[in-house]
Order: sequence, then structure tokens, then C-alpha cells
Amino acid sequence: MFKLVRRSIVANLGRLVLTLLSVVLGVSAVSGSFVLADSLRSVFDQISEDALAGTDAQVRPIPSEIADAFSSAAAPSFDESLTTELAALPEVARAEGQVAVFERIYTLDADGEIVRPPGPPVFANSFSGAEGVGGFRVVEGTAPGDQQVALDQAQATQGGFEIGDTIDVSMATGDIEQFELSGIIDFGDGGTGGAFFILMDLPTIQRATGTEGTINFVDLGAADDVSPEELVAAVSPSLPEGLEAVPQEVLIEESQENFGQIIDFIGYVLLGFALVILFVSIFIIYNTFAILVGQRTRMLGLLRSIGASASQIRGMVLIESVLIGLIASITGLFGGLGIAWLLKAAFNSFGNAFPDGPLQLQPRTIAIVFAVGLGVTVISALIPAFRAAKVAPLEAVRGGGLQQRSLTFRVLGGSLVLAVGLLLLFLGLSGQIESTANIFVALGFGAALIFIGVTMLSALFAGVVASVIGRPVQALKGTTGRLARDNASRNPQRTSATATALMIGLALITGVAVLASSIVDNFNDVLEDAFGADLIVGPTGQPLPFSATLVDELAALDEVDVISAYQFLQLGVDGEGVDARAWDSDTGTTIFNMGLAEGSLDLGSDGIAVLDETAAEMGLSVGDSLTVEFSDGELVELAIKGLYDNSAAVDGVSYLVDRELANQHVEGDAVGAIGVTLTGQPATDSPEFAAAEEAIEAAAASQPQVDVLSNAELREELSASINQLQALILLLLGLCVIIAAVGIVNTLSLSVLERTREIGLLRAVGTTRSQLRTTIRWEAVIVSLFGSILGVVMGVALGWAVVTAIPDEFLSYVSIPWAQIAIYLVAGGIVGVLAAIFPGYRAANLNVLDAIAYE
Amino acid sequence: MFASESGTGLASSGQYAARAEAAVKIYGSGDTAVHALRGVDVGFERGKFTAIMGPSGSGKSTLMHCMAGLDRLSGGETYIGDTAVSSLNDKQLTILRREGVGFIFQAYNLVPTLTARENITLPMDLGKGTADDAWVDEVIEAVGLADRATHRPNELSGGQQQRVAVARALASRPQIVFGDEPTGNLDSKTSAEILEFMGQAVEQLNQTIVMVTHDPRSASYADRVLFLADGKIVHELSNPTADLVYDTIRSLGDDD
Repeated sequence: MFKLVRRSIVANLGRLVLTLLSVVLGVSAVSGSFVLADSLRSVFDQISEDALAGTDAQVRPIPSEIADAFSSAAAPSFDESLTTELAALPEVARAEGQVAVFERIYTLDADGEIVRPPGPPVFANSFSGAEGVGGFRVVEGTAPGDQQVALDQAQATQGGFEIGDTIDVSMATGDIEQFELSGIIDFGDGGTGGAFFILMDLPTIQRATGTEGTINFVDLGAADDVSPEELVAAVSPSLPEGLEAVPQEVLIEESQENFGQIIDFIGYVLLGFALVILFVSIFIIYNTFAILVGQRTRMLGLLRSIGASASQIRGMVLIESVLIGLIASITGLFGGLGIAWLLKAAFNSFGNAFPDGPLQLQPRTIAIVFAVGLGVTVISALIPAFRAAKVAPLEAVRGGGLQQRSLTFRVLGGSLVLAVGLLLLFLGLSGQIESTANIFVALGFGAALIFIGVTMLSALFAGVVASVIGRPVQALKGTTGRLARDNASRNPQRTSATATALMIGLALITGVAVLASSIVDNFNDVLEDAFGADLIVGPTGQPLPFSATLVDELAALDEVDVISAYQFLQLGVDGEGVDARAWDSDTGTTIFNMGLAEGSLDLGSDGIAVLDETAAEMGLSVGDSLTVEFSDGELVELAIKGLYDNSAAVDGVSYLVDRELANQHVEGDAVGAIGVTLTGQPATDSPEFAAAEEAIEAAAASQPQVDVLSNAELREELSASINQLQALILLLLGLCVIIAAVGIVNTLSLSVLERTREIGLLRAVGTTRSQLRTTIRWEAVIVSLFGSILGVVMGVALGWAVVTAIPDEFLSYVSIPWAQIAIYLVAGGIVGVLAAIFPGYRAANLNVLDAIAYE
Repeated sequence: MFASESGTGLASSGQYAARAEAAVKIYGSGDTAVHALRGVDVGFERGKFTAIMGPSGSGKSTLMHCMAGLDRLSGGETYIGDTAVSSLNDKQLTILRREGVGFIFQAYNLVPTLTARENITLPMDLGKGTADDAWVDEVIEAVGLADRATHRPNELSGGQQQRVAVARALASRPQIVFGDEPTGNLDSKTSAEILEFMGQAVEQLNQTIVMVTHDPRSASYADRVLFLADGKIVHELSNPTADLVYDTIRSLGDDD
């Protein structure tokens, strides 16, 4: 039996290579997502270890439950005098007060532009020059002294800085000052992960952040023979309330965990795409095996007639699939390394630089890859294997294809699967399911079942639809078009199975397009009304705080009429950390259209405003009191003074307090955005408006991370960033389309083989090679268009369902991007043209004599 | 016979629908080389029905395939009318097959997705020209398929399918029609119908038909029978009867 399998694989090598390709792509995607996530994790684990290698313990404010490790809100700090006290302890060999800030201090190049990496952040840290503390060491020049900075090599190269140069530095205080570059520093062993570092000595960075006299933490080195744990025990009794000492091991763990959350998320997203790709390849493997079994009916009948049992036949097909699965797994494993590498390159080309580091292939990845590769192939081959076992011995004499499965089974089975899929999708979108993970599972399985159901049912109408699509082809191309049309519609089951992969790919792409276009259009509408401001001043892209000094500077301008700013804030409500905003509530309503629903938005130092939706959920109304926790750990009871129903201007947050109140609890006077109205209300296209904008831009020049945008420009920025995200998703889903193309190549090649004699006949009666290629090309186009149309229809339906399920405050209507969809349909046709190249070539170059040779 | 004729004279090209000169075909090379044709000279006169007979491996199918431009000679030359086949590229060969040559195969002769009439007009439809509808109707009428013209091959009997194939070969009015065991798959009654029709086409339409067969009864419908053995023409009969053909085969077999 095994010999037969081997011979059969060798004999069908060409067909199997293509099948392999689709499994390999799917397996590679899985392997790639694990490799990429593991590689990232390894880089950041190393970064965490490097950063803390020279630290035995740290003394820091006890982290608030509500704090987010990557929040833009300023880190809490305390008086630096503690450092001297701690240094006096015998167990302490070294105590250094440290200041570390995230995205607040930047170096500026000769053009006054911020020097920053495309994706990773810019950190500014204090650095005493003690080798290894913070993971830093000086590799060239000296450690920074008064009014000096030390930079990493990448930053210095990008900015064109050399040691001894005078560099403009944009400080957290909102001022630009000149610093001398004292030296180049290096970080750890594994690099910075792409981040830029600006190092200053403690007094300098305190001045640059406006936090003179305070520090964020104390970095401790233990005396000889003192372990980090002993050090923590020795230090702890002398700490004031609100501070804690943490040993090195815990610090590393925390740091790795913080990075890990982000990496896990990236890993899950990639895995999701990988699963989609695998799902698509299942259809292709299934289709190939089904066709192969169908073509071998006569041989299988012969085997049965000479005594092979049904289970032996079944086993034969399954062993074949196991072998293919094995080969595909091995190839896919390495393909995954390639995909990880490609994804890194793709992310980089989108401007989100990935950190450098070796690709990690872990044993777990290998195990998963083999399980998935084998599992998917064998499962896909199951139905064809069972069908092969049903071949009657008589088929050896009679020949001919397998019996088509009964229509009733298709209709009933397909409808049932479709119904269950729709139910799951509905459940997932209904909001009845609590956990996000379960919602994704429901949506994923729902969509998968819908695709399977539609595939089963689509065989019912594939013939008719393909014939209709083929009508213009026939009109255009005459006889070759006619042949193409007939070929595409002659075996509806095959046409629908072939088109499935493309259908799924395009359904997902279209669904994403509908979602993206609905987001852009809805947000555009909402944002148009969200700001009463003429100009918005703030950093675009990332929500980064900047110095509030700009508020006063702009307020002093004659061109500015009303001004209001908000700052980022984290509040604890019911023990959970939530994003909030603090704003100037006296002028805020002029600048930000919050849509007052009830009460007043003039909050004062004891009031809070809540989004009406949230208030309804929590059973709160105006006049109630709400206790919130600030990031300094203090619990404050506030009165709900107003409800608002439009949160678009404040990024959808549910809570608003006054800046005056926030500044009692949060250090560092930083804001996230400023809105202004202009004196005299000039029209946006008037010279007065342009002049005012220029004046404001000039005033904001001291903070180069800040842009001055009109409402329209702000909306353009938003559309651009959503479109960029959509492009990235499109890139990942593009793999599905590639696999779909492989599937079409595969089926067409098999069909060409199957129709060898027919093709020979066509050639014999005068069909030219190019006519034959034309026929096959249009057959492929018709099949592709069938899949594309079905996919687009499903995509629009899915997108519509998702958008409809999203609450109206976010997306109130569905916007369907018809132009994009038209492009997808054309692209689907082009996939057909490309997929037909190889089979067309094969068909055109068949030896006419061989083709018509008798048995 | 026709062996010594050079093939350059106008008279000769007018007389023959197709010719072969010193046709040699060798498959493979070295020790395993098979000499399928060892220098065959033959001409097929216009308006004649010729049968080619011979045992398996005698080269009869090879000769026909090479004459029809389906296969290339290793040496010598074949002509369709005045056209030297070896000088044609693939595209020109295809056009020649479409316009100058008709084919009737043993089986699997029709495109399953096309109707009988569409199969018949297929060679003309593949060209940009339009089919002569009146002529096509006449041919369809002649093969007795008038009421079956819109049926697909799987709705026709084996004999009907083969009649469609004959009609297709004749419909484009080619210089010559080649048949490769055209009745090999049919029962004797149906075979007789088809062969009679082919004979009529030769007589009434002045068509030229060359047919490979190993059935003496089929060969007896021809005006002339060529016998091939071992890659050479070894005998020839004019106006044969089945018995005469049968006797000839036996006598040739005895020679071996």
C-alpha cells in the first residue's frame, strides 16, 4: 500500500507541489507569527535585563492600581533628599536619584525638526556616568555634565551630531536650550530596540523637566555581600509613606511583563491572520484532494476489484495527506522565518520600526507548526478519503467521475452550517458576551461557518452565475470566450470550491474596507462638529503631552480670542483605571463641543462631568457624588455637575475634570491639546486666518512636536492614519489572495490535465496556442469574478453587520466604499488572469498527438 | 507509382491533395531508435477515398499524423496542396489544420460543452471568418442530424457523435480529410452508415479522404488501399473488396 502511495505522490508531483504551496503559506503564517512575537519578546526581555543589570534595588512611589505603564500622564515623583539618607545606610554602596521621562525631551536637527525614530519612543534619563546603571555606558567621549547631553549613536547619526557640537534641545518645560554633546552612549548588549535616549546629569534633567528638587526613583547598588533582597529589607524601614523598595528580580519581571502585554497583543493579531490564511488553505487542500480522487476513480476501482479494501483505499489517501502535511510543516517552519522577516520589513516600511534582534525559533513553535500543518492537511483530506473509499470496483470498467453528492445534502447541510454561523455572528455582535476573547471566538467561528455554508450552497448557483458572468466574455471573445464560459460553468461544484478562497479573502478585505470607510466618514462628521475651535494645537499621530507654557503664550497673542486646553489623565473609578481628560472648563465649551446633555460643564475644583452613556450604565445622574482615585493615590469625592453626549473632541473618554483640580494631584504641567478661536472670526480661507495661523505657529515653534491644524486638516490626519492601518491589514490579508490564486492555478492545472484529450482535439481542429491560452485565461477570470463578487457581497454584509452592531455614538451609519470595491473586483479578475498563466502555458504546449492518443 | 515524381510541377500539385516525399520518422535515438517511417513516397489524389492499412507498428498512424501536420518528420517532406508542411511554424500549422485539413478521430471527438452544430462549425468559428450557414445546414442534413443539431455530445449516441465529427471535418471544405480509425468504436451497422457517407462525400463533393483502419470491411469502402509494413508502403489495391483486402493482408503476413 505504501509503495502505491509513494508512486502516486511521485506521479502527481506537479499537482501536489501547488497544494503544498498553499499549506506551506498557511503554516508559514502561523510559524511566522510565533517567531515574530518570540523575537520581539526576546529583544524586550533583554532590554529589561540590560536596563536593570546594574541595579540591585529601586526605591519608588508605590504604583497606583490605576496607573498604566505606558500612560502619557507624568510619572509621580518625590523629594530628592531621600537619596542622601539612603546612601548613609551601611548596606547601600550606591544611591542615585533618577529622573526618567517619556517623550518629553527631544534633540532638534539643523532644521529645527525633532530627531526621532519612526516608531519607538524617545526617552530622557538622568545619568551620573556610573557604568551600567540604567543599562548605559559611555562608549565615546564622556558622561554628560552641566548643560550637556549624551546620546545613542543612532540618534547622533540621524541628527548629524558629533561630540563637542552644540545641539538644540526641546525641553519638557516648553523651552529650547543649547546643550553640548559630551559623548555617545550604548545600551546593554542587545541594543535599544530602536528607541532613542537622551541622557543628562540629574540637576540638568530636573531643570529640563521643570522638576527641580524631585526625583522619580532612587537607584541602589548593594554593598559587598549584600543581596538585593537584604538591601530591600535594610532600606524599607527608613522609607516615608507612599514609597517602596523593590529588588532587581521583581523590577525585571515587571518590566518584561509590561512589554509582554504589548507583544502578546501583536502576537494574537498576527495569529488571527495566520488562522484566516490556514482556513483558506483548507479549502484548497480539500479541493485538490477531491479532484485527485475524482481523476483516479478508475485506478481506485481497479484496486478495489483486485482486492483492496475500502479502508486500504481510505488509508492510501490519508497517508498521502500525512506526507504532504509533513513536507509542508518542515517547509512552513522555515517559511515562517521568511514571513517574520518580511513582516518586519513591511512594518518598517510603514514607519513603525521594529527593533532589531535575531529571529527566535522556539521548540514550542516547531511543535505547533507540525500539529497545525499535519492537522490541517489530514482534516482537509478526510472527506475526499472517505469518498475515495466508496468507489465501487465496477468504476474500473465504467470509468467516469465520482457520483456528485446529493443536492439535498448540500442544501440542508449548507443551510444548517450557514444558520449556525449567522447565529454565532449575531451572538458575537449582540453584546451579550462578556469577555473580549469570547466575542472574538464567536465572531471567528461564526464567520468561518458562514463561509463554509456559503461555499456549500454556492455550488447550487455557481454554474448559472458563472454562465451569466461569462456572457459578456463570449460576446467579446467569440468562440474562445464561449469555451471559457462553458468550462467555468460545466462543473459548478469545482467552480464554487475553487472560488471559495478568493471569496473569503475578498470578503474580509471588503469587510475591513467597509468598516474603515464607515469609521472615517462617521468620525469626519462627528469631528466636524466636535470642535468650536478654529485651530487645534497639539502633536499629531501620538497622544503626547507638551508643556502648558504654550497655553499662556498663545493666550497672550492678539489673534487668539478664546483658548482652552486639556491634559491627559488617568482616574480610578470603581477600582478600575480609566482614561480621562482635564480641561479648562470655563472656556472649554466654546472650544470643544461636548454636547451638554444635562447640568453644567463648568466643573470647578470639586466637579466632574460624565459621558451620558457611561452615566446611564453606572446609574449616575447630575447631583450624585462620585469618588475617583487620582494617580497620586488620593481618593477624592466629586460632584457630578454635568453630562455630555459628544466625546469626539476628547478621544471618546467618559470623564472630565477641571485642570485646576487635576494639577493638585498630577505633577508636571503638561497638556495634550490646545484649541483656540481667532479674534474677529475670520473665514478659513481669508488672509486674516492665514496670518493668525502663522502667528500661532511661530509662537508654538518652541515646542517642535506640536502642529497647528485647522479642523479640516485634523480630519485629514485622522483619515490618513486609519487608511494606513487599513493598508497594513490589506497587506496581511493579501496573503489570502495569493493563496487563493495558488488554488485557482491548482484547480485549473488539474482541469487542464483532465481535459487533455479535449484540448488536443481543439488543437487538432485548428485552435491556435494563443486561442487556447485565451480560453483558459477567461475561464480563470470568470471563476475569479464569481469568487470576487460573492466575496464582495459577503464582505459588504459582514462590514454592515459589524458597523451596525457598534453603538451609534461611535458609528451611526454604514458607509460603503464603492470605488474601492470596484477596484477589488477588477483585482479579483486580474488574479484570474495571473493564475491562468501557468495552466494556459501547460495547455498550449501539450503535444497534440499525446493529447489525442488513445488509451 | 508516384514515387519518382519530384512534386515541383504544377500538374502534380493540382493532381494531389496531399503528398509525402521520402518521409522518414525516427523516434528516440541510438540503440533504442524506432524507425516508424523508412522513406515513404505517396500522393493522395483529389476526390479519392484512400484507406491505409497495416499491422500495429507499421507506421500507418505516424504517416497520417505527419501528413496532417500533427507530428514532424525526421526527414523528407509532406505537402498539403502546394504547402510544404515542414516549413510551417506552429501558428501556420494551426491555421492549416483549421482551414486545409479535416480530422475524424476514433473517439472523444467532440467538445462536450458545445452543441452538435457548434462542434461542426468550431474550426470556422476559431478563425475570424463566418461559417457558410447554407453549406453547414447541407452537411448537417446529409449526416442526418438536422433534428439533433442543438444537442450536446452526451445526448447523442456513439454513431451520432461520430457523424457530427465527420460533418465537422467536411464543413470547412478542407483540401483533405484524415480519419484515424473513424469507425473503430462503432458497431458494424453504424460503421457502415458512416463509411457510406464518407464515400458519398468523396463522390458527390469531390472531397479527398484518407483513413487509417485495420478493418478490411472498412477499407473496402475506399477507392484505393495502401498497405504499410515496417515503415514502408508494401502494397496497393484499387477498388478493393473486403475479401480482396483480407487476402492481401494474409499474403503480406505470410511474407514476414
